[in-house]
Parts: sequence; C-alpha cells; structure tokens
Amino acid sequence: MSWQDWASGVLLLLGCGFYLAGTLGMLRFPDALSRLHALTKTDNLGLMLVCAALAVRAESLRIATLLGVVWLLGITASTVSAHLIARYARRSKEAEP
Amino acid sequence: MTLALDILLALGLLWLGWQVVSGRALFRSIVMLIVLGLLMAVVWSRLGAPDLALAEAAVGAAVTGAMLLLAYRRIIELRPERAHQSLLRRSRLAAPLALLCGALVMGLGFELLKLSSPADSAGAAALAAMQQSELSNPVTGVLLLFRGYDTLLEMGVLLAAWLGVKMVQPAERQELPVSRTPLPTYLTDALLAVVIPGVVLVAGYLLHAGGSAPGGAFQAGAVLAGAGVLLALTGRLRPTPEPSQLQRIALALGVVTFAAIASVGPLFGKPVMWLPEGWALYVIEGAMTISIALCLLLLFISAGGVQRREP
Repeated sequence: MSWQDWASGVLLLLGCGFYLAGTLGMLRFPDALSRLHALTKTDNLGLMLVCAALAVRAESLRIATLLGVVWLLGITASTVSAHLIARYARRSKEAEP
Repeated sequence: MTLALDILLALGLLWLGWQVVSGRALFRSIVMLIVLGLLMAVVWSRLGAPDLALAEAAVGAAVTGAMLLLAYRRIIELRPERAHQSLLRRSRLAAPLALLCGALVMGLGFELLKLSSPADSAGAAALAAMQQSELSNPVTGVLLLFRGYDTLLEMGVLLAAWLGVKMVQPAERQELPVSRTPLPTYLTDALLAVVIPGVVLVAGYLLHAGGSAPGGAFQAGAVLAGAGVLLALTGRLRPTPEPSQLQRIALALGVVTFAAIASVGPLFGKPVMWLPEGWALYVIEGAMTISIALCLLLLFISAGGVQRREP
C-alpha cells in the first residue's frame, strides 16, 4: 500500500467518525438548536475530511479541485440552512409562551 | 466490497420504501421519500446510468421534495390535526397482495435472468447509427434522434400539467406560503448572490455536455428550475394567475421548436421527425431547457405565471 492509500484511509475513517458523531448528536440531543450545533460542526468537518481523502486518491489535480469545490458548496448551503432553521426555531419558541 | 455496498443500497431502498408508505406521520413520509430519491440516484449511478441519476436527484428528490414540503405546509395550515394523524389504513388484503406482488416480481426477474439477449437488438443498431451522428452520448441520441416522438410528447405532458394547474387554481387566491415575503436576512442575500450565477453556469454546462456526456435538456431544466424555486422561497418571485407574454412564449418554446424542426424532414425528402444534425439539436435542447425550467417552477408555485417581487 502506498502512502496515498494510508493517508486517504485515515482521513476517511476520521471523516466517518465525525459523521457518526453528528448523526448521534442529531438523534439524541433534546432541542433544535443543540441538534443543529451537532450537525453543522461535525457535518462540515466530516465532509471536508471525506473530500480530502478522495482528493488524495484523485487521478488528476482537476478532480481534486472539484472535490474542494464540492466541500465549499456544501458548507455554504449548510451554513445558510442552519441559520434559517435556527432563526425559525427561536421565533417559534418566542411565540409559544 | 462492492457487492456489500450493493446489498446495503438495495436493503436501504426497501427499508426507505417501507418507511414512506407505513406513514407514521405525513411529514416523516415526505422526508423519507426525499431520502429515497437521493438513494435512488446513487443506485442509478451504481448501475452505470449517470443520466438517470442526475434526473432522479434533480427532479425526483429536489423539485418533487420541495413541492411536497410546500403542499404539507399548506395542509397543516388548513387542517392542523393532520400533522399527527397516521395515514395508514390497515387492511387484511395488504399482506397477501404484497406477497403476491413480491413473488411476481421475483418470478419475472428470475425468468428474465435466464433469457439470453437477442442478437439483433435495437440497442446495437442504435449504437451503430450513432457513429454517423455528431452526438457521442447515446442517451441524448436515443432521446432526440431515435425516440423523438417520446421526447416531444413528454414536453406536451409537461405543458398539459401546467395547463391543469392553471385551470384548478382558485380565482380568489389565498396567500400561499410562497407568496408571503419572508423577513430578509443578509445570509440568504449572500447565498443567492453566490448560488444563482453558479446554478445558471451548471445548467449551461449540463446542456452543452449533453451531446457527449451525461446531461441534457431535462437535467439542465431541472437545475434551472431549482434556482427559480430558491428565488420563490426567498421571496424574490411571486405567483400570478396569468403568465406574461414572454412566459407564454417560453412555456410553448420547447414543443413548438421541436415540432417545427422535426417537420422540415419532408421538404428534403426525409421522414417526419428527421432532425438536421448539429445546430438543430442544440436549438431544440436549448428551447426544451427553457420550457422545462419554467414549467417546473410554475408547477412548484402552483400558479399560471410568475412575477418579480419589488423589494
């Protein structure tokens, strides 16, 4: 096994660990805000590590760059959607009592 | 390893399908259906059909999912008790029927596996004929050159669906969830500024790539419609009962362009639906992309037309 295989294997495992932790947090945490906290932090890092793992193994620089773009798009979308969900959750909490 | 992945995907599909129909709550079923669409896209790409995977992800998961979520919000507003109602109607016929259908599918699949593929199938002939055309993506070739009628009729179906929506929309429109202005945020503005040009770029790429790689009018149209959906949800667009003149033209553009170019064949002593090579294909695909995008957007906001909302 070459160093690329080792590096990407380690990165993949780390990324999957983050995904697992995030999923667990989303399932077990009590309210919307803490669930979002678990999801966004770990999701972004998990996606970055998985993309990095695939980029290390990529055949060309083009594919590696594309994986970087995938990660950037992913964090852009998740930032905004998490913000919107959090705002909605806070509004409906304030409206309740 | 790959076999394990395939088995996991197949079991995942079955489980998700069960979750969709077992319907503990309406919202849950909708979310499960969206996840099912995404997993289906992965399965299509595993089966070597990236065109179908793209279409499934864009239309099956994204646009349909957004449409269902919007309909859900509307239902909950009208009848809040529906949120917690189970949709499941237990029936004694269900289990025997499911078993029968399952056995039928298994039996048919088993028989199909035993069949040897015929020597002179249409697929081989189509691939051979592709050599003479400028297209190198067989999927686009089949859609436009060999099964043009199907594609033309699909465009007609989309147009008919929009006509249906336009006919059943109420004369006095209550405020739809889409037509309310959400409170502005800087983040959504920033997102739109980044994402909308990117989406247009991706749609253009998909349209251009359709000639030689996975892509084409349907995928590009769905991606463009996605941009429209985003604009509608963030309050930049609002539904109107009637389409503007420009929108009327855009809606009919796909069918009209395709039909017009397909009917010049007899002038050159060729059959109807014969397509001149090269530019004609791109013109048709481009026109279809515009029609598909506008049709899907109007179906999503369930309105006859759409208008820019002045800030």
